[in-house]
Amino acid sequence: MRSNFKKALSKAASITIVVIIIIAIAAGAGWWWATTQQEAIPTTTSFSSTTTAATKPKISVIKIGLIEPLTGAHAVFGIEAKEAAELAINVINNELGGIKSLGGAKLQLVVQDAGSTPDNARLAAEKLITQSHPNIVIGAYISRLTAAVAEVTNRSHTILFMDGLVDDLTQHGWKYVFRVAPKASAHGKSAVDFILDMAKKKGLKVKTAVVLNEDSVFGTYTGNGAVLELIKNGVKVLDHITYPYDITDVSSIIARIKADNPDVIISVPYFHDAILIAKAIKSEGLHPMFIAAAGGCGYTDPDSIKAAGDAVLYYTQTYSFNPYRHTEWAKKLVGMFKQKYGKIPTEAGGIILYTMFTIYEGLEKAGQMYPSDPLNPDNLRKVFLSLDLTDSNSIAAQLYPTGHIKFLPNGDNEYAGTAILQVQKINGTLTPVLVWPEPQPGIQPIFPRPDWKPSSSS
Amino acid sequence: MDPILVTNNLIDGVLMGMLYSLVALGLALIFGVMDIINFPHGDYVMIAAYISWLIAMAFWVDPSVTALLTVPLFFLFGVAIYKSVIHPILGAEPLIQIAVTVGLGYVLENIALAIWHAEPKSFPAPWFNFGLNFGGLSISVAKLIAATVSVISLYLTHWLLTKTKFGLAMRATSANRLIAPLMGIDVEKVYSVTFGLGIALTALGASLYMMWAQTNPYLGSSFSLLAWVIVAMGGLGGVVGVIYSGLIVGVLEALGNTFISPSARLAVIYLAFFLVLWFRPRGLFAKR
Repeated sequence: MRSNFKKALSKAASITIVVIIIIAIAAGAGWWWATTQQEAIPTTTSFSSTTTAATKPKISVIKIGLIEPLTGAHAVFGIEAKEAAELAINVINNELGGIKSLGGAKLQLVVQDAGSTPDNARLAAEKLITQSHPNIVIGAYISRLTAAVAEVTNRSHTILFMDGLVDDLTQHGWKYVFRVAPKASAHGKSAVDFILDMAKKKGLKVKTAVVLNEDSVFGTYTGNGAVLELIKNGVKVLDHITYPYDITDVSSIIARIKADNPDVIISVPYFHDAILIAKAIKSEGLHPMFIAAAGGCGYTDPDSIKAAGDAVLYYTQTYSFNPYRHTEWAKKLVGMFKQKYGKIPTEAGGIILYTMFTIYEGLEKAGQMYPSDPLNPDNLRKVFLSLDLTDSNSIAAQLYPTGHIKFLPNGDNEYAGTAILQVQKINGTLTPVLVWPEPQPGIQPIFPRPDWKPSSSS
Repeated sequence: MDPILVTNNLIDGVLMGMLYSLVALGLALIFGVMDIINFPHGDYVMIAAYISWLIAMAFWVDPSVTALLTVPLFFLFGVAIYKSVIHPILGAEPLIQIAVTVGLGYVLENIALAIWHAEPKSFPAPWFNFGLNFGGLSISVAKLIAATVSVISLYLTHWLLTKTKFGLAMRATSANRLIAPLMGIDVEKVYSVTFGLGIALTALGASLYMMWAQTNPYLGSSFSLLAWVIVAMGGLGGVVGVIYSGLIVGVLEALGNTFISPSARLAVIYLAFFLVLWFRPRGLFAKR
């Protein structure tokens, strides 16, 4: 009896194992089939004829996917990014005649909403890849959304140009990602470099600093970039304060900074907290040598100036885009943007402008380097890694703050850098003006703050 | 530990605590009298702050002055919300009440997002955004005004509840909503006025807050959380309970920001809340 039971049990177990193995094999085969199909699609669908190594393909349209947060809390960035992308593509197709090395192929923009969560962004990327088969994708400004998009694009071997700035986006080992814009920590570093450069020019010594940043990943990377640069330059960091950007009151934080009495304050805010901080600093009567911000958000943008008024006077902010660069194409595209949308492009739009023209210049080169298979993602990757764009040979470089774009193997720009704007009173109006690395004509950086009250240690 | 920094924080915490109490009082009234879980309480603060900002910008006056318009406007808004959204779910299953009130919060948040987008709004030329300095101590005049107005409003509400016939009707309805009508109390009127009053108090809090701060579509959730903690910690002990727990929250927030970390602000407040509930499960000032 016992033996029969054992036999029955072992028979049932064997059948179960066999069924599991069959299911596993079937699932594996299904997965392999699905992924090979998916990977095969992007390189062929945008060709109007079959690609072979021997014949040059006739390409009429190259699809550029754009995944940005068009709804939700970050829509303000995504909408401007979309506006900039539409403008750039219009110029490339109509004014520059498309991609000449590919027979005048036109760029076609395909837009998806990344929403406000990584899940939404991932779904948007999957939809874009499977339905539209873009050759290159751009996205998604907010770093956590960008990471979600990158997982999908990298898996399907689609080139992704990231406009999210968090440092580690290029440290995941993703092969098909590039980023023209300066990473978050570079913003923190630039804010410090600006202060030290100004202090040196004015014969002042910066001995102490306080860094405060909102505690998102972006804020943390940017704040850490500032702290490291301060320490590297022998400035004592008295306090490094982090806070949630949705904080309702910052008075106690400002009281803490007042007690620290630093020479300079480096702030990495979002929009809401920037207004609270600027107003609280004014109300509490803090008078440091300088207050510099990093991260491209808050204080110097038109909306923050409108909301905070005089409280943001003399604040500086680092930007990934310099709307006042004196190059032919920067003047032209900023002018066109202003004419079309009634405002100058800020961080989100500016990044897209130079990213789109980097793609344009890469595609031109791809037509020359790989005429038989220019849109193959591995070929495209090699093309982008070979680019060395400067003001003299490139539209993209003319739009970029440092005027130089050259990619490192991880996809970051070796010559990444920021521009610094300062709020000054021009003809009685609070106006953001370019002060660093090269001030715009007729403008000088105001440093130190005119209301600075030097402490005994300064 | 710098004694001046501690004192500055205590002052700031007390001033903010009074404002938090004012906002939470509206929630306590609605919950106490109507037994309805008004989840989007902070979203009324957010919408009222936008209206305050609009009026301030239109007439170029300090946001505190806008309370003269926003308070009566939001009383009427509260009555309208009661009649259209709250009345049908009175006595319904808690799950339905939660779904409706939480949904209302999302509606308010998305309306703000659609109209004003995500950019924060603030009055750029406030009249009272400066400090009084006494040998290292600094007191924000705007917050001092906000706290003073809050204390006066809290006292007036206490007076309404304890010294007037209508207050008696509110308390009677709160004690037993089935027997109250038998005593000649118009429960429907009590409910609509209570809800209107609760929302009017959020408008007053919003106008005062906008003297130095900003509003954005997501401001509501911060105020909702704080209001709920204050009400639960106070234990529905009337105005006094709300004041004391508001002060505790305000002071803990200020000290936590300075001596622990602003990122741990909510953790500090909630730990204190759990501690209170551990020793007094019905709240600090529960009547029984």
